[in-house]
Formats: sequence, structure tokens, C-alpha cells
Amino acid sequence: MATRTVASRQIGSSLHAGLAVALLIAGLALMLVVISSNAALTDMWGAGAMLGVYAGLALGLGGVMMLSSVVVRILERPRAKDDKDWLWRQVVSLLPALLLALVVIVAVEGLVRGFAVPFAQIPPPSAVLAKLFEARAVLLRDTQITLLETLVGFAVGGTLGFFTAVFTQRFPFLERGLMPYATLFSSIPIVALAPVVIKTMGVDWESKAVVVGITVFFPILLNTARGLAEVNPLQLDLMRSYAAAPSRVFADLRIPNALPFIFNGVKTSAVLGLIAAIVAEFFGANGAGLGFRIVVEIGTANLDTVWAAINIASLVGITVYNGLALLERRVTGWHSSFRSDS
Amino acid sequence: MTRRSSNAVPMLVVALAAIALYFPAMIWLNASQAQKLLSRGAELKCGDALACAFNLRSPIIPAPNQLLEDIPRLYWPLTDSTTVPYNAFFTGLETLLGLLLGALIGLGLAVLLTSSKAFERAVLPWLVASQTVPIIAIAPMLAVLLGANGVQGLLPKVLISAYIAFFPIAIGVAKGFRSPDPLQLDLMRTYNASPQQTFSSLRFPASVPFLFTAFKIAMAAALIGAIVAESSTITDAGLGRMLSENSRASDARGLWLVMIGSAVLGIVLVSLVGVVERLVTPWQRER
Repeated sequence: MATRTVASRQIGSSLHAGLAVALLIAGLALMLVVISSNAALTDMWGAGAMLGVYAGLALGLGGVMMLSSVVVRILERPRAKDDKDWLWRQVVSLLPALLLALVVIVAVEGLVRGFAVPFAQIPPPSAVLAKLFEARAVLLRDTQITLLETLVGFAVGGTLGFFTAVFTQRFPFLERGLMPYATLFSSIPIVALAPVVIKTMGVDWESKAVVVGITVFFPILLNTARGLAEVNPLQLDLMRSYAAAPSRVFADLRIPNALPFIFNGVKTSAVLGLIAAIVAEFFGANGAGLGFRIVVEIGTANLDTVWAAINIASLVGITVYNGLALLERRVTGWHSSFRSDS
Repeated sequence: MTRRSSNAVPMLVVALAAIALYFPAMIWLNASQAQKLLSRGAELKCGDALACAFNLRSPIIPAPNQLLEDIPRLYWPLTDSTTVPYNAFFTGLETLLGLLLGALIGLGLAVLLTSSKAFERAVLPWLVASQTVPIIAIAPMLAVLLGANGVQGLLPKVLISAYIAFFPIAIGVAKGFRSPDPLQLDLMRTYNASPQQTFSSLRFPASVPFLFTAFKIAMAAALIGAIVAESSTITDAGLGRMLSENSRASDARGLWLVMIGSAVLGIVLVSLVGVVERLVTPWQRER
């Protein structure tokens, strides 16, 4: 009996998956046919073709949602003891999101072409892709500059933040005097800081690194301080009964305890730092940088380059964040936030 | 509450230490700048480098007397379009409207995210990824796009700050909707509560603390969005406009005061969320 229900459920779910894939392919194919026919909204035929894009979008979205519910069911199955299928699960869990993006991008391509949206407003995704390849030398140089600003600023600001947190932990007076300011600073818009720093330090990359450093300093300080403070009193007592020196308590108890907090701060502030670098470049840069590229190319209505730069910035952001998350998994894999779920 | 008042002395000491650091830094940086100008043969009215440190036309760090001199110029009268308070009012208004609009969109999205697992699978990775993406990079382009389609006045800025603000709200509130523990959800099931009832009497109240944390993050983000939007469109009011105009006019002293004004606006707006939170959730006050 039990085996039959399992079998029938499996058949049901594979039917479900098959239908989802069929819908998805039909939707994508319909949209691609319309796109390749170069129809525009000028006559009856064009209007019909646009209806085709809408229908294709609806089919595609329906397919993605159905597939997504199949994926949800697959992921709910009990996990194998060994982590052998970890990569596979990761791929499967990202599949609906990737397909959703594909459907939306193809639909945008169809709609932009069909409605003949001016190039200076929304360029078709295919043009952005072409530009990404065509202007790769310039964009690579921009990415390098922005990354340099972010990395140097992050390294300096982060280190300062970390050691300030260590100091505040050692001297409670400093903590009570400094922390309220640190929380206050987090609500200050960095955009307002950028023009001032650039005016005083010039348009070279160093000024943007300073903006990144200031932006990064406070989240790292706050997170590290919180992590260093959140120690189990029992564990502190244990260290005292071992007659451990303060430096040992610090290295063996407080720092490992603070690691998850520090990683949290590092992850969020790395992204904040990248954003700060790009925004600071809006206000002045020496001929290169992703933010600079975005502002300059908007001025000359080269929106394909703008979108290409935005895509690169997004890719860099996602890569940095997930790289740090992976590092966190390796370094603090013992922590309860990784053991319980996910 | 008693702990907070005891922070006053340490905070004062830190502030005094910052001021004590500011004076030598200011004099050193400005004097070396003045020395450079003098050695280049520039005629400065103030005489030697040290005296000039307090009177440079574009100082590295403005001297206190210069800041005080500029405060009447840039902060008074309140209704003049070249003063900081006038422009801060418009930026604040745009930020608040943007936050409200963003909150509506974010709440709707959060409801969808919690009620459909399939929707979550397909959309959530993009929402999470968007947190790691410099969304602000899109703001100047959105400003151009909206301008080209005849959207004018406050609206484009409101839309952009709403666009920046809704992500943190959607994520934070979705987390809040999921925060009730399984026992409480089971209880609702034994009461045979409909999904709507579970939402209104369990999930929504449970999400309120998350809501306000998300609002604080979103408010800071929305303010940045509004300022960037202002500086990248042709506008007649706003701190972003002042920033870009003053930086084009090389008015370093003015920039410092606009920066201070924006900082104050940011602090006021975020603490406004805190005030509303204390009014709405009095039971949280003890913590």
C-alpha cells in the first residue's frame, strides 16, 4: 500500500513537472517566434504578435510557478546523510529563480521591440548583452578601479572598526561614550559625505576609498562589539577557574564567539562599501569607475552601456557577498545557525 | 532608561576628545594648504600661513569661525530656496512618501512570499540578490526614464526612494510573518482558523517588531535614494540639488554645511521611526 502511494505520488509529480516544462518551453518559444518575426505595433498583424508576447509571458510565468512548486516538493524530501547531493540541491533550488529571470528578460525584449520603445529610454536586453561584450575593455578597467576603491577602503575602515571594537570591549567607559555615536552614524546618508571628501581629496581613487572606509567602519564596529560582548557568563567563569590570562580569554573565547557577528558585519558592509564607492563616483572620478561610467553614459544617452555597467556592479555585489558567505560557512560552520536548518 | 542617562558623561568626553582632535588637524591641514598657496606666490590678505588657516577660501577642513559665519547664510531664512532647511524639508517629504509607498509594496510582497512556497522559490533569490546589488546605481537612470515620460515634480523622487525602500521592508516583514513558532501555528490550526485569520491575529502582530527594524533600514536607504534622485534630475528643491550645485560651484564650506544638514535629517527621520515604534508597541518599551 505504502509503496503504491509513493509510486503514484512520484508519477503525479513527474506529470506535474512535465507539464510545467512544456508550458515553459511553449511560452518561451512563442515569445521568441514573435521577436524573430520583427513585428511592431503598427498594424493588425503587429497587434496580434504583441498578444503573442503577452500569451507567451503568461504561459512562461505559469510554467515557472508550477516548476517552482515541484522544486519545493523535491527539496522537502528528507536529505541524505552525507552531503553528496549538496551541489545538486543548490542547483535545483536556484532553478525557478533563473528560469523566472529568463522568461522576464525574453518578455522585456519582445515588449521593447514591439512597442518600439526609444533606445534612449529602455534598450533591449540583447543590445545590453552585445554592449557587455563590445565594451569589455573599458568596463573591465572601470570594475578594477571600483574594486580597488572598495577593497582598500574596506581593509582600512574594517581594520579600524575591528580594533576600535576591541578597545571598547576593554574599556567600558569608551563603549558607553562611543557606541551611541556609532548607532547615530548609521542613519547618516553617505551620499552627502561623498562630495565633501572628493572636494578635499581630489577626484582620484583615494577619495572614494575614504568614503568606503567611513561607510564600512561603523557596521564593523557595531557588529564586532556586539559579538565580543555576547559571551556566556558560565564560559567566562570556566575561563576564570582555569586562571586564564585576559589575552587567553580574548583569543580563545571572545573572538571565536564574535566570529558569526563579525562575519555578518563583514558581509553587509562589503556590499555597503561597494554601494558607497559607486555613489561616490557619481560626484567625481578620474575617468574610470562603474559609478562614473553610469553617470557619464546617461549624459550621452548610451543606455546600453549604463545597463551593462549596472549588470557588472550587480554581479560583483553578488559574487562578493556569496564568496564571503562561503568563507563564513568554512570558518564558523560549527555555529548553531548552520547546524539547525538550511 | 537609567543606563541611558549615565551614558551622558562618557558621550560628552568622547565629543570633547573629537573636538580636541579636530583643532590641531584643522590647523595643520589648512596651514599646509595656505603655505602651498603662499609659496606659489598667491597674495593672501591674512598674512602668514597659520593665520590663514582660519580664513582660507576653500579650506581642507573649515574652521569653526567659518562654519558659524556660514550658518546664517545657509540656514536662514527658512523659506528661502537657497537654504538648507527649505531643501531638507522637500527631501524629507520625498523620503517619507517614498517610504510609505515602499512599505505598501513591501507588505504586499511579504504576504505573497509567506502564502506561496512556489512564489517564494522563484522570487526570493532575486530579492536576496537585490540586497547585494548596488540598486542605487539604477536611480540616475530611472530619473532620466521618468523625466522622459513626463513624470515631474516630487513624484520621480518619491518613486525612486520607494524603489530603494521596498526591498528591506519586504524581506524584514516576510521574516516577521514567519517568526511565530510552530506551536502557535498549530494552535491556530486546532482553532480551525482560516489563513486570513492566522494572518490577522498571529502573523501580523508577530511581525510588528521586525516591521520597525525594517523601517529604520528602509528609511536610511530611502533618504539616500531621494538625494541621489535629486542630484541626477533637474529639480528646484532638495538637498541632493544643493550637493551637486555646490560641488559644481566648488563651494567647499557650503558643502560641509549641507552635509551636516543631511546628517541631521537622516538622524531625525530614523529616530522618527523609533518614536512611532514606541507609540505603537508600548509593550516593547521595557526592553
